[in-house]
Amino acid sequence: LTQWPRYEVFKQDKSNKPHEAIGTVHAPDAEMALLNARNVHVRRPACHSLWVVPESAILKVTAQQLASHPQDQADENSTDQHYEIFCKRGKRRSMIAATHVGTVEASTANMALSKMLEHDDSADVWWVVPQQAITRSDDELIESWFEPAQHKTYRHQSGYGKVQVREAN
Amino acid sequence: MKISTKVALANALLGMADDELVLAHRNSEWIGHAPILEEDIALANIAQDELGHAMVWYTLHQQLTDGDTPDQLVYFREADQYRNVQMMEQPRGDWAFTFLRQYLFDAYEQVLLSHLSQCSYQPIVDPAAKIKQEELYHYRHSALWVQRLGLGTEESHFRMQRALEQLWPLAMQLFVPVEQNQLLADEGFFPELLEMERAWQAMVMAHLTSANLQTTANSDFITMPRTAHSHHLTELLGDLQQVARVDPEAEW
Repeated sequence: LTQWPRYEVFKQDKSNKPHEAIGTVHAPDAEMALLNARNVHVRRPACHSLWVVPESAILKVTAQQLASHPQDQADENSTDQHYEIFCKRGKRRSMIAATHVGTVEASTANMALSKMLEHDDSADVWWVVPQQAITRSDDELIESWFEPAQHKTYRHQSGYGKVQVREAN
Repeated sequence: MKISTKVALANALLGMADDELVLAHRNSEWIGHAPILEEDIALANIAQDELGHAMVWYTLHQQLTDGDTPDQLVYFREADQYRNVQMMEQPRGDWAFTFLRQYLFDAYEQVLLSHLSQCSYQPIVDPAAKIKQEELYHYRHSALWVQRLGLGTEESHFRMQRALEQLWPLAMQLFVPVEQNQLLADEGFFPELLEMERAWQAMVMAHLTSANLQTTANSDFITMPRTAHSHHLTELLGDLQQVARVDPEAEW
């Protein structure tokens, strides 16, 4: 049996927050991946926008790999495209694999990463995502996909009573 | 509101609630059995949403009739007191059948809830608008599966076409006028169902055709009222009501 391809899921909590890599889904195509991402990852949490990207389209590099990572030579003939850059620093917020930090124009993913590193090389993990590989939830869907959850109070932790351990006498 | 109108509207609400409940139960039968984890979760989500919607309509029914609570209605009615259409009580079938049934119902809800979000009975308006938003997401999911399987492999197309032949006549029961339908429609409480059918047909036919699926001739249409049920509902309720009926006085 063949497994469906894997997609990375990026969630933006609010319009002024960056997209964050929150997990993966398997799906036969990008549109299905977006639906599955909504079901699996954002049935309850706050969400403003959702992206899915085939994992195979993403360049992922760790700080350790960077030293030995082969850098592409600039190719005069290839045209530039936009890349979204994500990174992860330290071990805090372990559920988030990477956070969006900027957009870079370059001819290849490696070139995009090199450009990024000129400004900042302090992260532990870098992800380079070609813009054209991203499938996005359109604004029309916000009401239908993300807003109903906000009215459901049972999704809030504060809606549940605390369990206390009683001291034995 | 006149008593006769009240009774008719309460009956219409009961039909809506029972449709949601029975469909949710059938979809919940996939939990742990769906072909892939993501879809298992998706179907469980959809089923849970439909249950929530059923709860909303049962509660409104209770307020209108000053009658039974949702739990009493769900656990202690016999099959012949249920008002869902027979399409919902059919066994879950295969993946194609499950998602085509969901799709036909999702499209129906889009049309119905558009009407009800302008209902003259104010307590229906807000939930109808809210539920319509949530249903739009179900609609997109089920429509996508109908298209993917319709246009997919030879086998997936065969299964979707077979499901359509089974479900198409059954779906027509959604548009059998409810009790006092004309009266309710005249006063703006509930849409005229035969008229609603046209909007639904236009919506659904375009999508089915684009998925290379053909509907059958009109002659097989089911026009029985919502009081008629198959043995499938009796069996379903046997499962659904079993625990509650062991100890009807138990508090949960």
